[in-house]
Amino acid sequence: MTVTSMASDDGSELTIVIKGRFDFSVHQDFRGSYETLSSKPEQFILDMTDTAYLDSSALGMLLLLRDYAGGDAAKISIKNASSDVKRILAISNFEQLFTIENNE
Amino acid sequence: MGSRKDERLITVLVADDTSTDRLILEAILRKQGHRVLSAEDGEQAVAVYSAERPDIVLLDALMPKLDGFAAARQIKTLAGEELVPILFLTSLTDADSLVKCLDAGGDDFLSKPYNPVILQAKIRSFFRMRAMQRTMLEQRDQIARHNEHFLQEQTVAKQVFDNITSGGQVDSKHLRYYLSPLAVFNGDVMVASTTPAGNLMLLLGDFTGHGLPAAIGAMPLATTFYGMVEKGFAMSDILAEINSKLKSILPVGLFCCASMVEMNFRKNTVRIWNGGLPAAYLHRNDGQVEQIKSSHLPLGVLSNKKFKSDPALISMAHGERLYLWSDGIHEARDLDGEMYGDDRLLAEFANNQQPDELFDDLLKSVKHFVGLSEKSDDLSLVELLMAPVDIADVNPDSQVVTTQSQLAEWGLTFEIKPSSFAIFDPLPLLLSVLLEVPGLRNHSGTLYTVISELYTNALEHGVLGLDSSIKDAPDGFDRYYQLRRDKTQTIQNGFVKIDLAHKMQADGGSLTIIVADSGSGFSLADYTQKNDKHYSGRGLKLVQSLCDTLEVRGDGNIVAATFCWHTDD
Amino acid sequence: MSDNHLIDHEILSTLQDVMGDDFGLLIETYLSDSEGRLSAMQKALASGDAEALRCAAHSFKGSCSNVGATTLAAQCQLIEQAALNKQLIGLETSLVTLHSEFSQVRRQLAGYQ
Repeated sequence: MTVTSMASDDGSELTIVIKGRFDFSVHQDFRGSYETLSSKPEQFILDMTDTAYLDSSALGMLLLLRDYAGGDAAKISIKNASSDVKRILAISNFEQLFTIENNE
Repeated sequence: MGSRKDERLITVLVADDTSTDRLILEAILRKQGHRVLSAEDGEQAVAVYSAERPDIVLLDALMPKLDGFAAARQIKTLAGEELVPILFLTSLTDADSLVKCLDAGGDDFLSKPYNPVILQAKIRSFFRMRAMQRTMLEQRDQIARHNEHFLQEQTVAKQVFDNITSGGQVDSKHLRYYLSPLAVFNGDVMVASTTPAGNLMLLLGDFTGHGLPAAIGAMPLATTFYGMVEKGFAMSDILAEINSKLKSILPVGLFCCASMVEMNFRKNTVRIWNGGLPAAYLHRNDGQVEQIKSSHLPLGVLSNKKFKSDPALISMAHGERLYLWSDGIHEARDLDGEMYGDDRLLAEFANNQQPDELFDDLLKSVKHFVGLSEKSDDLSLVELLMAPVDIADVNPDSQVVTTQSQLAEWGLTFEIKPSSFAIFDPLPLLLSVLLEVPGLRNHSGTLYTVISELYTNALEHGVLGLDSSIKDAPDGFDRYYQLRRDKTQTIQNGFVKIDLAHKMQADGGSLTIIVADSGSGFSLADYTQKNDKHYSGRGLKLVQSLCDTLEVRGDGNIVAATFCWHTDD
Repeated sequence: MSDNHLIDHEILSTLQDVMGDDFGLLIETYLSDSEGRLSAMQKALASGDAEALRCAAHSFKGSCSNVGATTLAAQCQLIEQAALNKQLIGLETSLVTLHSEFSQVRRQLAGYQ
């Protein structure tokens, strides 16, 4: 259960990598990964390659990020999500709020 | 004297009944540095040869007891395949006598009076010949040993393959296959087994390399295959696992081209994954042939992160057949070196009137084409037939395994007490129990979410009495979880009880999850009225979507969900 | 007959070289071998055994040629050939000649010792 992040050189893009379980236990790390930056990135990428599970609190955290990133104008994409994770995102209609990329 | 460093002492046997001649020969030979043994008649000559095994034998033709010719024959017999040069000492001049010498096994003559220079030249030359022959024999023996080793290796490789491929149940009306011994030696391997759901799972592989190196890769492939098929793992998981095993054990450059197939005889579908083998052919009832080409890299090449184990799903009507092969058939060559190739294969399909006979016809056609050329039997061919399953076809062994060694019908109750709320997360433990059920394994993500939701709700709202509306503001999230942390550390009373029960059903099984808490309960109707934009309140809706049933019991402090799985999932 | 015809001195001197100290032993051996072969030939002829005569003549021929007694060797060759053809008639004369030539060879060889 770790959250790591990496900004692009010009700071316009932030990649957040979530490993293991994505639930309430990582909410501080998750928020910290984007709230502590000196400038707000224009675009966010959530790398879920190694995200094993997620629950509804993770969905809440995703919405928090979306509002932080500008609400309806937010540019957030989720990539490499497993089929289980995608299913949960789909059930919650999160496809309409986030760009869910097909696996590489 | 005269012996160079690399020439060991040459031992020469002189047999002559005339003492004068013998004395002279002995003297010449000794002077030339050779070791000399003497005999006065043929019998003595044979006895001395047998005892001392001299390098070269000089025989007088006419001797008492046993003449030179007879002695020569006996000595040649004693020598076996060793070359013992025999020179006849003679003043015979007529052609008949000379021929007699050669017939008796003589290699040359030495005429009287003896010429020391010629004698020395002949001794040296025959000794060299003998040494050469000895080297040749050693090399021949070495080659024979290598060959034996090779044959042994081939046998071991074959045995290894046979052992590992015999682990599965491959006798069924749905499956016909032919793997020639040479194909097996060249690294072809086929494993097939019936899944707990009654599907036929099959993998045909072609390892690069041959003999033992290829067999070494086949072992983990087969054990992984049989182990996972028996436990009900999905085809994509099995492929990923085999890929990862092969990637880690095989040296770079050694990998396994493979096709994997899962035949579902109830839904009349086939899942197929082709990584590097020639296109599989699907023979339709109307005579059309569809090719399923390789769209993946072979097993053991990519790391699991990059490996794609997504099989294609294709419908197959009853009577339709799927053909898999390694490149042995396409690359089979006739005596002129021409390859059998795709066109001939397609023609064979096009000409076929009796689908029942396609399998035999294909083999016959390739074998006929190849004729007597050496690669005549490097063939692997698999035919899978879509047909209804008979009761008799269901593999009894795998049923025994299912009921004896795997969780099927069971229940457990797990209660978490206040002192554990802060430090203990029950999910990994419960999930590991659930994953013992083969049919639930494919749903671990879903089950995690369901149980996580129910437990979190019971703990946070039921036991701790937290109000999720705190989370409606962005900074509320932190506040909410801070409260949760504080409360779990100080709480003295309350519990969350989780009941899990699983039972088998005709086409799968069902899991009942009941989570009860010590709280005062809630109303499902109120709960589900929140709107989508809230940061919270999604949990139970999610559970509702993921499960087959969801009900709230008691005062609203008991939630029961059932999750059904099907063998075809 | 001159000595030159009876003995090939070149062969003998080579032998002297090869045998070294054993040369005397060789001559003694040759002489005793030869007497044995001569009496064997005599007996074979007396009993009309052509094969035994041929063998003895053949062996005698070998040792004679080895010690350089070339005339004796040639004489043996004639007897061997006749015995092979079963032509024993008149061989008594040849044997007498052989005997007398051998006596001369013996005398000459004595000079080498």
